[in-house]
Amino acid sequence: MANLVIDNVKKRYGTTEILKGINISIKAGEFLILVGPSGCGKSTLMNSIAGLEDVSEGRILIADKDVTYTSPKDRDIAMVFQSYALYPNMTVEKNISFGLEMRKVPKEEREVEVQRVAELLQISHLLDRKPAQLSGGQRQRVAMGRALARRPQLYLFDEPLSNLDAKLRVEMRTEIKKLHKKLGTTIVYVTHDQIEAMTLADRIAVMKDGEVQQLGTPQEIYDNPANLFVAGFMGSPAMNFIPTKVIEQNGIPMLELATSTTVALPFPRPDALKDHIGKTILLGLRPEMITEPQPHKEGQPFVTTTDVEVEVTEPMGADTMILTRVNDAEINCRSNPMYDAEPGAIIKMMFDTAKAVAFDKESGRRLDL
Amino acid sequence: MHNQAIGRKTSAMDKVWRVALYAVLLIAAAFYLMPFLVMLITSLKDVEEIRTGNLLSLPASLNFDSWSKAWSSACTGSSCEGISPFFMNSFLIVIPAVLISTLLGAINGYVISLWKFRGSDLFFAALLVGCFIPFQVILLPMAQTLGWLGIANTTSGLVFVHVVYGVAFTTLFFRNFYQSIPGELVKAARLDGAGFFTIFYRIILPVSTPIIVVTIIWQFTQIWNDFLFGVAFSGFDTQPVTVALNNLVNTSFGGKEYNVDMAAAIIAALPTLAVYVFAGKYFVRGLTAGAVKG
Repeated sequence: MANLVIDNVKKRYGTTEILKGINISIKAGEFLILVGPSGCGKSTLMNSIAGLEDVSEGRILIADKDVTYTSPKDRDIAMVFQSYALYPNMTVEKNISFGLEMRKVPKEEREVEVQRVAELLQISHLLDRKPAQLSGGQRQRVAMGRALARRPQLYLFDEPLSNLDAKLRVEMRTEIKKLHKKLGTTIVYVTHDQIEAMTLADRIAVMKDGEVQQLGTPQEIYDNPANLFVAGFMGSPAMNFIPTKVIEQNGIPMLELATSTTVALPFPRPDALKDHIGKTILLGLRPEMITEPQPHKEGQPFVTTTDVEVEVTEPMGADTMILTRVNDAEINCRSNPMYDAEPGAIIKMMFDTAKAVAFDKESGRRLDL
Repeated sequence: MHNQAIGRKTSAMDKVWRVALYAVLLIAAAFYLMPFLVMLITSLKDVEEIRTGNLLSLPASLNFDSWSKAWSSACTGSSCEGISPFFMNSFLIVIPAVLISTLLGAINGYVISLWKFRGSDLFFAALLVGCFIPFQVILLPMAQTLGWLGIANTTSGLVFVHVVYGVAFTTLFFRNFYQSIPGELVKAARLDGAGFFTIFYRIILPVSTPIIVVTIIWQFTQIWNDFLFGVAFSGFDTQPVTVALNNLVNTSFGGKEYNVDMAAAIIAALPTLAVYVFAGKYFVRGLTAGAVKG
């Protein structure tokens, strides 16, 4: 296992800059996820780590060794591709052992290794088949087997689950997580699926336009997003952004919330809003922080109950999403399915602002860090 | 006629259409087969029968004399050894030329599709122009080049000409085929530690059977049937069969031996026919391999 350091890596095609100075450093055994919308440069960064694309500037270190100009095969990494990229003319066994053969591992050792990997991934019964005879999930396993066989220092996964159907994707996700727990390997994993990112990662790097917007643990990124983009990208349904006016009550900045009545919401870090009194900012509040009134939370600081009008409800089984409107912005609330909320009715909802965050309306900058 | 329309729900009108359709197909088939049929029956008659009978009358008895004469003793210009030596010449030209141009096309296509470099698209576009250059245009410069290379009037010279001219086509075929191969396959192999030629040989070529067969059929037919390069760049001993056939037909002592001409023409056409019949099977097999999902 090895650590990975990406030091100010830049990549240019002509005059367009795809990567604008990426700095990421992960410890040995860590599971890093690169997440972002398409075109954010995450795949380019992945290819740069693999050595499949040259970087224009900066350094890449694997196990404290500078590999910036090392060819892919000498970096001791393995990669799982979105299309699996299994060799169509070879059997599963040959696919798994090809990398070992290229590295001149003796035949007996190769066979032992193929057996080990096949058992680990439960594909022993498929060894004689060709890729065309496998289902999507089986191909996925073989692709992982091919990566595992060489026992490299670093594993790269390039959107490995995006070609699978929804159910299989969740299964394989758990499988990958188990595998990581079991083997303790260093993994860099690219995805555009924020749920995959949350569930798998030790740390997440959220990317946009060739820049890392935030690097942190899933919980940090969820609770403490660095800016409006990260806040909106991570979480499903997305965080609510409510334009609110900062007002002063008893010398403390509060946030004005208008429905059929108007209330002032407290903010956990009021000092950060001192310079914004009288101005409108964006209040970020996750749907699960706006619920039906819960007796045990009554009287807690940062909890405010007010009337809202129900526009639409979306029962999801475990919860019901209630769509409503405050300060002229549509917001999602997560309520108990037993709570009586008919569309058009005025109901009481509880706003818990203990974990609320504030953003600048124009720049999307976080105001209260 | 029985009325079968009750069970099958086919009306009399449908039946008429069906009959008409088959009639049209049969006429079309006959139309295309007619010249070959005339050649075949003419080659089996003797000269006397040809002169007295008409074009489509069948031979009184099967007479293969003209075939053996065409093969081994008919006069082509000043020599009278039939077309067999030239038939061999054609193979000596066609086999290396087909193999080399196919291999070069495969490597070119592999590079252009899967190892893109700065300007590779431009390179491909430039190469494509080669497909549109008429044969006649390159006759003089090629004669000059062959002279410089010291391979004028030789078999190697003709192989060279056909390879140069064929590479544009073979590259086009392979490039288009390899466009459908995901680039990730090459990336995966590179990470596995395979080099440029190992990837080509171990991973890309084994999946190329259909396009290899298509290219071989195309190149074999083109080169075997070529007359212009053959007549322009061959020496007396290195003439391909097409040139010999022309000489045979144009050489006559006394009466014209149509039966020998026809037999020689059919012999000259047999290899391309064989390639289609033989390789066509592999072509279909190549197309369906891997298409079956488990």
